[in-house]
Amino acid sequence: MKFVGKSIKRVDGVKKVTGSLKYVDDMKMPRMLYVAVKRSPHPHAKILSIDPSEALRLRGVKDVITGEFYTKRGGLYLEDKNFLAVGKARYRGEAVAAVAAESEDIARAAVELIKVEYEVLPAVTNAVEAMAPNAPLVHPDLGDYKVAPVFFPEPGTNISNHYKLRKGDVDKGFAESDFVFENKFYVPHVQHVPIETHTAIAQMDADGYLTVWASCQSPYAVRQALSAAFDIPLNKLRVISPAVGGGFGSKAGTTLEGIIIPLAMRSNGRPVKLTYTREDEFENAYVRQGLHATIKTGVRKDGKIVAVQNEFIWDGGAYTEYGVNIVKAAGYASAGPYDIDNVHTDSYCVYTNHPVGGPYRGFGMSEIHFGIEQNLDIVAEEIGISPVEIRRINGLKPGGRTGTGEVVEVCGLMECLDNVIRDIELDKEEPASGPNKRRGKAIACGWKAPSMPNNAASSAVIKLNEDGTAHLLVSAQDIGQGSDTVMTQIAAEVLSISPEKITVRTGDTDHTPYEWQTVASRITYSAGRAVYEAAQDAKAQLFELAQIKLGVYKRDLEMRDGFIVSQIYPDRKVAISELALGLTFEDGSGVHGPIIGRGSFIPPNIRNADKKTGLGEHPVAFWTYGAQGVDLEVDVETGHIKVLKVASCFDVGQVVNPQMLEGQLEGAILQGMGTALFEELMLKDGKILNKSFVDYKIPTSDDMPELVVSFVENPEESGPYGARGVAEPAMVPTAPAIANAVYKAVGIRLSTMPLTPEKVLAAMKEKAQMK
Amino acid sequence: MSKLTVRFILNGEEIEHETLPNRTLLKMLREDFDMTGAKEGCGAGECGACTVIMNGHAVNACLVLAPEVEGSIIETIEGLSDGTHLDPLQQAFIDNAALQCGYCTPGMIMTAKALLDENPTPTYEEIKEGISGNLCRCTGYKKIVQAIQSVADQNRIGHGNG
Amino acid sequence: MRPFEYFRPSSLKEASELLVRYGDGAHLLNGGTDLIVRMREGLTLPEAVIDLKGIEQLSRIREDEASVYIGATVNLNQVGRLETIGKSFPYLAEAALSVGSKQVRNRATCIGNLCNASPLADTATPLMALNAVFEVFGPEGEREIPIQEFFVFVRKTSLKPGEIVKGVRVPRTAGHGVFTKLARRKEVDLSMVCMTLLKAEDGWRLSFGAVAPTPVRLPKTEALLNQGAALEAVLSSAVSEVKPIDDVRASAEYRLDMVKVMLSRGLEQIEKGGAVS
Repeated sequence: MKFVGKSIKRVDGVKKVTGSLKYVDDMKMPRMLYVAVKRSPHPHAKILSIDPSEALRLRGVKDVITGEFYTKRGGLYLEDKNFLAVGKARYRGEAVAAVAAESEDIARAAVELIKVEYEVLPAVTNAVEAMAPNAPLVHPDLGDYKVAPVFFPEPGTNISNHYKLRKGDVDKGFAESDFVFENKFYVPHVQHVPIETHTAIAQMDADGYLTVWASCQSPYAVRQALSAAFDIPLNKLRVISPAVGGGFGSKAGTTLEGIIIPLAMRSNGRPVKLTYTREDEFENAYVRQGLHATIKTGVRKDGKIVAVQNEFIWDGGAYTEYGVNIVKAAGYASAGPYDIDNVHTDSYCVYTNHPVGGPYRGFGMSEIHFGIEQNLDIVAEEIGISPVEIRRINGLKPGGRTGTGEVVEVCGLMECLDNVIRDIELDKEEPASGPNKRRGKAIACGWKAPSMPNNAASSAVIKLNEDGTAHLLVSAQDIGQGSDTVMTQIAAEVLSISPEKITVRTGDTDHTPYEWQTVASRITYSAGRAVYEAAQDAKAQLFELAQIKLGVYKRDLEMRDGFIVSQIYPDRKVAISELALGLTFEDGSGVHGPIIGRGSFIPPNIRNADKKTGLGEHPVAFWTYGAQGVDLEVDVETGHIKVLKVASCFDVGQVVNPQMLEGQLEGAILQGMGTALFEELMLKDGKILNKSFVDYKIPTSDDMPELVVSFVENPEESGPYGARGVAEPAMVPTAPAIANAVYKAVGIRLSTMPLTPEKVLAAMKEKAQMK
Repeated sequence: MSKLTVRFILNGEEIEHETLPNRTLLKMLREDFDMTGAKEGCGAGECGACTVIMNGHAVNACLVLAPEVEGSIIETIEGLSDGTHLDPLQQAFIDNAALQCGYCTPGMIMTAKALLDENPTPTYEEIKEGISGNLCRCTGYKKIVQAIQSVADQNRIGHGNG
Repeated sequence: MRPFEYFRPSSLKEASELLVRYGDGAHLLNGGTDLIVRMREGLTLPEAVIDLKGIEQLSRIREDEASVYIGATVNLNQVGRLETIGKSFPYLAEAALSVGSKQVRNRATCIGNLCNASPLADTATPLMALNAVFEVFGPEGEREIPIQEFFVFVRKTSLKPGEIVKGVRVPRTAGHGVFTKLARRKEVDLSMVCMTLLKAEDGWRLSFGAVAPTPVRLPKTEALLNQGAALEAVLSSAVSEVKPIDDVRASAEYRLDMVKVMLSRGLEQIEKGGAVS
């Protein structure tokens, strides 16, 4: 192949390295108004009254709105949220009013002048407690909420989704086991920390046409949500995502867009802008839910796991319109990448008066694998086999069955495991760097499938230009992962024209065709297929015309370097440029007209699983498997962990751009390290204690260990050139691999993240005392 | 509150500009000069996305008040390329895929430039430490360090392995 | 940011008069890396911001046989890279270079770091161990404040209204010293605990930060060290001379454990004759 599989340079590189790319906060518009938000200081409170009168009197203030202006609820999978609180505030920081003013400073000053009267309600700040019979209800009206039929809320409780997986017979499985173990794990909330905070601008024209510029992963999803919330027809609502400075899931769905729409509707044509501060980002953008996990394992002497019972209790926060699906995804993946006959999982999405849980890279996988992969090591040790052995025995291989009963056709898990074992020299004992350090190496596996509606669709359009160049229109959003470049490579490969000749345009619902969302590690696969189909469509049209022009049957034609060429008579060729606007005959007449290639794609045959058992033969598009290995040291006196080396290997089907793929895997490792070592939203009584970079730490360059990444390529049949996604799986094994390596180094097991020096030291002290 | 006039050099150009004092250099660059390369990632000097070079040293523009630029020399990402040619550092970032979403990139490049201006041939460790004031969430830093290293290597060749 | 008047006086007298005129409504601006953050968060709302960087004499660095003098507007990177500091007080250089990020250190000043009087100020413990002396300019004339009398409480110094620290005089002190900073993350982090241990010719000097409302010297422990007491006794004494609290960064218990670890490691390092991290 000429372009797919090559490290083509990013098509958006120059704009980014020169600082000339305009992100939404960089955009200035004439007569723009700035928004500031009044937020609830209470995690749970009835809103008795909001008095904006003093704020409205402040010079420069144009408008103040509250949730009462638009009370219609919305949400992606469950309609439980409003953009501004209606009736009560359900988490500390929830927006209760918004101000539009001539400047940010005036807007913020005005916010201080808005008087809100609250009646404080008892709050639930622990998901397990929130499930108790008499817990305060966050959503008493849950029974009235519209919900997609694959989710199962329990009205009258705080449970917004109860996912069940019932494979085989676990009771029988446990009875047949030689050993049964139960372990618990807790994963706290973390935040995505995109370096660009959320930001959006909205403007309504005199004819009621609304334009929204948002840093968002999914302009079509934003369009749909806003259209539903504000009763604006889709043809009068345009969402543009000009650039995104990192998403990681936080910019999926909608976050702050709905706050500014009512202000734009009432500003008589003036654009209205809201940009989150970093503090807002921590508290009011999506966060990753916390998880209380209990894993019970039944295993035979020979290492075969016979039964697994999981209970996942997710701290979904105040609104779980998105979180319900994370809970489901975690549920159907709960067996991990292992072949287990009997699986019983209950995965609960629980409302609490905590910040709003939402999609975070991994969509539940990182959280559950922290437990699953440590649990495996614990069980292995108990029965006297190695962590590698237990995975070789139970790991999925072609022909095996997943936790939902799906037959596995393609699976490179074992190859990935072999690669990381090799790359960190797992079996080679290496000395620590000093008398107070202990060194340990360990591995962990992981898997993920795109979690999306079965009919999530992609589309693409290719317009050929009369000079032989082309425009590629997609709404797949390049959020850093490089989709602009990958889509270009795929189109270039099919049409056999150099990527430089293709200009990709994205992120404009008026001009680029539908894309469900840029999430779920689905874009290379799904949008890639749509691009492939669009290019094939353009190629087919070219062949139709070339056939006439050259007098060669189209089956004997091929694309070659900007030409359509006869395979049999190589000197019979015609340039794309000549046919781009149709075929012109010698007499001057023309036929066909401009070539517009069109591609649409829905992953084939994804069918709902059984509602009661969660079993399904093909409930997801594909699974991506992989493994990581970690080599680290622990300072036994201070508890500090230093990661020396991380190896990572994933089965990606077909590498589209090696250099970019490496970058994605490298970034994922650091993000995983962050959750393992530093990151936690410290919540106390619903309040985030560390909502700034002073006390919420992510890895810096000086935390970077040696990184070795590799790939395995077992093609995905329905993927473009065999490619499947890896963006999220890439982060999944890191934290448990670190935890496993710490155990190897100092013999302590931490069942919670992050593994701070203090926790490590405390665990070592406890162990020493027990001796 | 009175407006004041600041005189400084911005990307080689002499500037005389009126501003209120209660704003940062970052806001002034972004709002008054439309130089939006420097970004506000946190507003508190913790992320480095707003890094510019002031009198030869990398600083967080969010922690400099507008009036403080009086008499100083400011270099931003916008001044690195002349519109036709990229600075070797910028080219190195592209060649090494040292960027993904691009949001930290201008600040990262300016920090790298200041680092190399001070020490044209830093070691791998020195680079790792030298850019630790710039947070990146996408790349994992490896390719960024490699990009800077490639320019350092070119400098080594240029200076006869100095 | 709230409105304020900006001043850039060219003399200490002018600066001091402005301070007196505006009283509590005035704030000195030096590196700005603390003040501007506080202004952004609304924690400090000055009516007048007085920029000291126009006062030329404050940027001076002087040295003679007896001491090294660092002016108020000298930034932390400068302090860290000064040859004379590196030679005479490498642990002070290390402390200076451990504050914030490189970008922050190109603005933040040593004096500013100290005048904020945060208990965890990284440059405080080396200067406490060195018995540094602040040279102060005020409405009633000039005076000196030994560093041990400078820190009163969290974010509170013994400076009187209108007083401005001109610089700090660091007495040359022969000996071996160690600075250790324990933080959650390797770079750009506040200390959980920081320490300077100095074996001077005239005896041991030990200072800890982030374990009390101000940076502290540990005289009882110093005395035990001078007596050649056993390690166990020295460590117990150290723990008794500090009073850490629980906060988001660490618990009191962990801090106490770290006091012992850092001190014993520091002693070991000095035994080996190093002035290293």
